[in-house]
Amino acid sequence: MSKQASDAPHPRREPRIPGPLSLARLEEVFSDCVDFAKREVYLHGDSHRKATVCYIDGQARSERLNDYVLRPLAQDPMLATAPESELFDLMERGALYAHGAKRETEPDPVVFALINGSCALFLEGRDDCLVFPVATEEKRSVGEPENEPALKGARDSFVESLRTNTSLVRRRMRAPELKIREHIVGRQSLTPVDVLWLDGIADPDTVALLSKRLDAIDIDGVEAAGNLEEYLVDAAKFPFPLMPYTQRPDRFCQGLLEGRVGLFADGIPLGWLLPGTIDQFFKTGQDRAYHWLVASALSLIRWLCALITLLVPGLYIALVTFHPEAIPPKLALSIVAAKQEVPFSTIFEVLIMLLSFEVIQEAGLRLPGPIGATVSILGGLVVGNAAVDAHIVSPAVLIAVAIAGVAGYTMPSQDFGNALRLWRFLLTILASLGGLTGLSLGCAALIYHLAGLESFGVPYLAPFTTGTRVPRGHPSLLRLPLPRMKWRDGPIQTQNRRNQR
Amino acid sequence: MKKRLLPCLTACLLLSGCSGLPTAREMGDMALLRTLGVDPSPAGVAVTGSTGPRARGVEGEGEPALTLAADRESLSGACLAMQGQSDSFVFFGYVDQLLLGEALAEEGVQPVLDYFSRDAELGLGAQLWLVRGASARDALSAGGEQGLDARLETLQNDSEMGIANLTRTAGEAYTDLLELGCAYVPALSPAGDGGAFLREAGYGVLKGDTLAGFLEGEAARGLELLAGGPSADILDTELPSGPVSVKMTSAQTKSVLVFRGNTPSALKLTCKLEARLSEYRQRPEGEELKELRGELEDRERERIMAALDRLQTWGADCTGLGAKAGMSHPARWQGVRANWPEWFGQVPVEVTVQIGINS
Repeated sequence: MSKQASDAPHPRREPRIPGPLSLARLEEVFSDCVDFAKREVYLHGDSHRKATVCYIDGQARSERLNDYVLRPLAQDPMLATAPESELFDLMERGALYAHGAKRETEPDPVVFALINGSCALFLEGRDDCLVFPVATEEKRSVGEPENEPALKGARDSFVESLRTNTSLVRRRMRAPELKIREHIVGRQSLTPVDVLWLDGIADPDTVALLSKRLDAIDIDGVEAAGNLEEYLVDAAKFPFPLMPYTQRPDRFCQGLLEGRVGLFADGIPLGWLLPGTIDQFFKTGQDRAYHWLVASALSLIRWLCALITLLVPGLYIALVTFHPEAIPPKLALSIVAAKQEVPFSTIFEVLIMLLSFEVIQEAGLRLPGPIGATVSILGGLVVGNAAVDAHIVSPAVLIAVAIAGVAGYTMPSQDFGNALRLWRFLLTILASLGGLTGLSLGCAALIYHLAGLESFGVPYLAPFTTGTRVPRGHPSLLRLPLPRMKWRDGPIQTQNRRNQR
Repeated sequence: MKKRLLPCLTACLLLSGCSGLPTAREMGDMALLRTLGVDPSPAGVAVTGSTGPRARGVEGEGEPALTLAADRESLSGACLAMQGQSDSFVFFGYVDQLLLGEALAEEGVQPVLDYFSRDAELGLGAQLWLVRGASARDALSAGGEQGLDARLETLQNDSEMGIANLTRTAGEAYTDLLELGCAYVPALSPAGDGGAFLREAGYGVLKGDTLAGFLEGEAARGLELLAGGPSADILDTELPSGPVSVKMTSAQTKSVLVFRGNTPSALKLTCKLEARLSEYRQRPEGEELKELRGELEDRERERIMAALDRLQTWGADCTGLGAKAGMSHPARWQGVRANWPEWFGQVPVEVTVQIGINS
């Protein structure tokens, strides 16, 4: 297939279901769908007046269907006496008790309404129908955010239901300036994706750009976060995440207050905040709950841990194999003593240990909770200790790799931690090729790479590289006392920079 | 595509050995030399190196110190020869202690310090010691299985705490030789059975790059006062109220050059000391305290004069008194700087000692 042919947009049929609306057409559309159901009802027992109610079993809630639609149809005497031409008007305006009613004349909206849990009511001899929302609300209840536990703060977290998530936000942000715009993404999944922003604070250009990119997504379905992330950001081929996300409504709202634009997708229990700059991946929902000194210290520790997890294995290789004179003498003597009985080279040792660490971690994640913990303990303690005792690895290597691994777990963002893990391998390999020179080259390449990334027009390193022309809000490494954080960050182009008196 | 290719090619060239990058060397097969001794020899130079006690395995089973020795025409030749004597890679990057034999100091230390300054592994950070009355090789061999590095490290640490002689790194001594034309170096001499123990033996003074002589006893204490770092010194004296012991805790010497015209006519030294009463039966007060202070000042002045007498005889201003004083008269100092060693031997010195006694 030629390149031009493979790049061509694949055809989309509009309307999706051609032809006039009718009950027969609907049955044809839903043929071979065992969950499609229809019920014929005589209006107040009048066999000359027959209505047909269609719905999707499992999507519609049967109690609502019975009580709000079928019961009035069967028992309301007015429906038997009213002129047939007025029946639809009566039903639309209150004869049926559903909180909404909409008259439809095209098959597309009726089909999608049925799929979303509504029921469609047809009357004989008419070419339109009434759609009543009777959707079931079966969903996971709001629980605690497992990935972002709260010690001091709200304990609710986003769920798979989009409307529940927007409601969690709306309950915290009561201002009418909170705008929610919906897009449908995915040809087959038709997933609702909502864009949230605070009018007057968020950058309208970012909102417009996000909407434009959402509209441009033409995929089959949104089943995972990557289905949006990899289509929305400019540099999806690189490992560093450009769209920070959170499970916590309070943190999401804080992001909106900072002038960021929020994004929800139905079926994905998290919310994204855009644009994403590097400092966002080091912040936690607890930063504003703790005392500012404690939060600042913890923030510094997280940044330090990022350096540790990235550099320690490479630094160990560079020092031990290329620049031993830089190691303090007593430590060098200890390393020499421990290394004498190990048959493998330091480079091989470190790479193997890094790989083993990843394997153990992956095994722990894939197995059920209790077994996963056992595997981690077995892998980490028993195998590690046995490897040292058997002189397969030296203890210093084990310590270096373990410190790097544990430091990586301090990253609040799993995606950012994963990117650091990949770069850790690269830097380790560079250090094993060229010592500190290789490691320095790798670090320079990393900074060059990060400096070239952008998220919705905002530089990824914006907190550190905005220069003097773009006003900063507050330091990114530290968390100042809240009364002193009067300004929203400049790089995200907020419309109103002042956030307090 | 070209934009990506260029960095990739550059990285490949740099990392594939075409760039002179350091080569990898496993630490497991390294013998880390900690102490190096240099002496003259009929062949040219005799180099002796010791690793100090080593450990093997995770449990750190002790192994005796590895001592290597080689006599060659040059230092680099001797070091290379030592590589061949060990079944491990001999690594010189951890040489912390450099011993120079007295004979080598008499011949000249410059070639050794030059070599240390140029060698990538050695550097000038090692502590420098003169071995008095013996060769460095003898001193190192006498260290036996334990080596000398523990003893030398202890002396170094004691010096930092002010309870042993001043220590000097090779770099400090080399800098003094280049800038002042002379330097002082702590001296050690073998003691005990077979010289197995090294004791402090004052300071060796290098003039040019050869040994001018040694300062010991009171003169060595005087040199410490001039250098501004007295080793903890207890002075005992008898007062009417009973014996008193005073501990000297710090010293600071300022020098002033008095010029007549453009020629120096006097070198005035003011040494300020801090002392602490460490033992007494009755705390000295009033006149008794004044008497004590006077006696201590006299004794410290004698020490300084003892050191200055020797240094002036050798024309070796190894504590940089002239250079420090010259900073107040930079123009005049430039005139005498070249001939300062001769001036230093002739100029009258006035010494003032002021002691502050704390209880």
